[in-house]
Amino acid sequence: MDILQALMNGFGVAFQPLNLLLVVLGCLVGTLIGVLPGIGPISGVALLVPLTFALKMPPESALILLAGIYYGAMYGGSTTSILLNIPGETSSVVTAIDGNKLAKQGQAGPALAMAAWGSFIAGTLSVVGLMTLGPLLAQWAIRFGPAEYFALMVFGFSTLSALAGKNLFKALIATGFGLMLATVGQDPQSGISRYTFGFLQLEDGMDFLVVAIGLFAVSEVLMILEEKTPGAIRAQVGRIYLSFKDFMASLLTILRSSVMGFLIGVLPGAGASIASFVAYTTEKRLLGSKARFGEGDLRGVAAPESANNAAAGGAMIPLLTLGLPGSGTTAIMLGALVSLGVTPGPQMFEKNPEVVWGLIASMYVGNAVLLLLNLPLVGLFVRLLAVPAWFLIPAVLAISFIGVYAVNNNPFDLLLMAVFGLLGYLMRKLDFPLAPVLLGLVLGYLMEINLRRAMTISNGDVGYLFSSPIAVVLWVLAVLSLFAPAILARLRKQGLGGDDEL
Amino acid sequence: MTDRIVGALFLLLAVAYALEASRMQVGFLSDPLGPRPFPYIIAALVGLSALWLLFRPDPDPTWPPRHLWPTFGLVLLSLVAYAYLLLPLGFILTTTLEMTLLSLLFGARWWQGLGGALAFTLAVYFLFTEGLGVSLPVGRIFG
Repeated sequence: MDILQALMNGFGVAFQPLNLLLVVLGCLVGTLIGVLPGIGPISGVALLVPLTFALKMPPESALILLAGIYYGAMYGGSTTSILLNIPGETSSVVTAIDGNKLAKQGQAGPALAMAAWGSFIAGTLSVVGLMTLGPLLAQWAIRFGPAEYFALMVFGFSTLSALAGKNLFKALIATGFGLMLATVGQDPQSGISRYTFGFLQLEDGMDFLVVAIGLFAVSEVLMILEEKTPGAIRAQVGRIYLSFKDFMASLLTILRSSVMGFLIGVLPGAGASIASFVAYTTEKRLLGSKARFGEGDLRGVAAPESANNAAAGGAMIPLLTLGLPGSGTTAIMLGALVSLGVTPGPQMFEKNPEVVWGLIASMYVGNAVLLLLNLPLVGLFVRLLAVPAWFLIPAVLAISFIGVYAVNNNPFDLLLMAVFGLLGYLMRKLDFPLAPVLLGLVLGYLMEINLRRAMTISNGDVGYLFSSPIAVVLWVLAVLSLFAPAILARLRKQGLGGDDEL
Repeated sequence: MTDRIVGALFLLLAVAYALEASRMQVGFLSDPLGPRPFPYIIAALVGLSALWLLFRPDPDPTWPPRHLWPTFGLVLLSLVAYAYLLLPLGFILTTTLEMTLLSLLFGARWWQGLGGALAFTLAVYFLFTEGLGVSLPVGRIFG
């Protein structure tokens, strides 16, 4: 009954007027970002973090807002996939296969409704999962010492590198590069400056927001500049409805995909994109000739859309219980929380219950809000696609300038942003995944500090890192996960080319 | 070929990064491990992966066509200029100029671009400064 009591307190936090407003705002912005191609959840979350600082929000309010954007974008991403065959996010690429076929057959309404209901059920189920599994994992992880934490981070980076890109070695380089960035600035233990090259602005290290906005938002502008930009788009939505018969026929698919998506989401590195892809291929094989996957089957929409929402909920588990984000977006949330004075991890459940349970309760509210936003109001969002690119892209960049400048009130950060913008563009062109850079930057400090604490405890004996059973298991898992790309490649061969999470 | 160059560059970066670490002066107040080993581990990770890239490169990417290069250069140059001009010229003027330039590159007519840029810049300037209490530079030439 502990959980129920905690949840009640959580609802007390979530129903405070400010937080209620922020859930709605987050879901609204998230849906917007999901609908608009050219701005993804990572940029969206990064651009709103400075706002939470400026308004001096309490940490729970900031997290409620940022998480709302994150899972809101999962709802919105399906809309353009279905209507226009333009996935708003990478997690909705698979949705376009059957979704757009349905739209061409005049079934856009049922497809959109299916996406919304699937998302709602999966989103709600994943919060239930988060609520029950989170505290258990936190109780278990609270005994982690520096050796276990170091092994945990190695495991996190190895799964992330294995799953985040097409080429394992490029992902490893990206991870290492992020860790390099993390070592810039004053060394916390000995106090000497490392890799600052005389720049005073680098003494405090590189700010994760500057790097995130440069790598993701600015590089996106360059990508859009290169690809032929679609002009203003107008699309017909029609009436959004779903017959009870269709709903029941897809219910099992929704439930199975929710569980699958949730479990994949918990794994570091395997985010919503992989979840939606795996759910689609699994359902396709499971249903066999009973379904018409690829020709316009509602279950082909239900599977990926349920899975990506469940994954967004699952991704909160390692972030909240271990302080280990598994994706670029959750890495930014971690950075924001740390800046606001809360360190995610097992202690958070005891020290800051209002943050954890406030967030969990707000996710129940948010999923209901999103269902309302997406069923009756989807036509309104689609009309936003008529905003021309020549206005939208520069406007996003202008907001980026404010976000970056507001971090330190220092134009030097704008220069850094430009450098990382170019770097992000080159990395995208060369198939280097971007998320590991961000994770390396955000986690590098913790990783080093835990390594050094472990070595202080053992007085320099490296064997201490492998001295507990938990640590050994994590090291073994870390090595095993490096073989995941080979398994995924085999899965991919069996059907379609799923895209990666950036 | 591109990947070989990239691999070589990252290999150089790893070596330089490790060298820089080896030159760090450590006081006697440090912990047993000190500030150097963690960078060494990272340098090894990046160096070995870069070496792999040198020998097993991916196919080359398709780079943007030559006629787009000046546009790219202009965008990057304008971003650098923005950083240097923000304090002297102030947020409103610099952002309007930058947005107008980008709008034109994305195919707007000049009056559309200028109008949209000015309207949006003014709107966010007052939203952030008056509404949200973020301080944005007014500009030295104005004050």
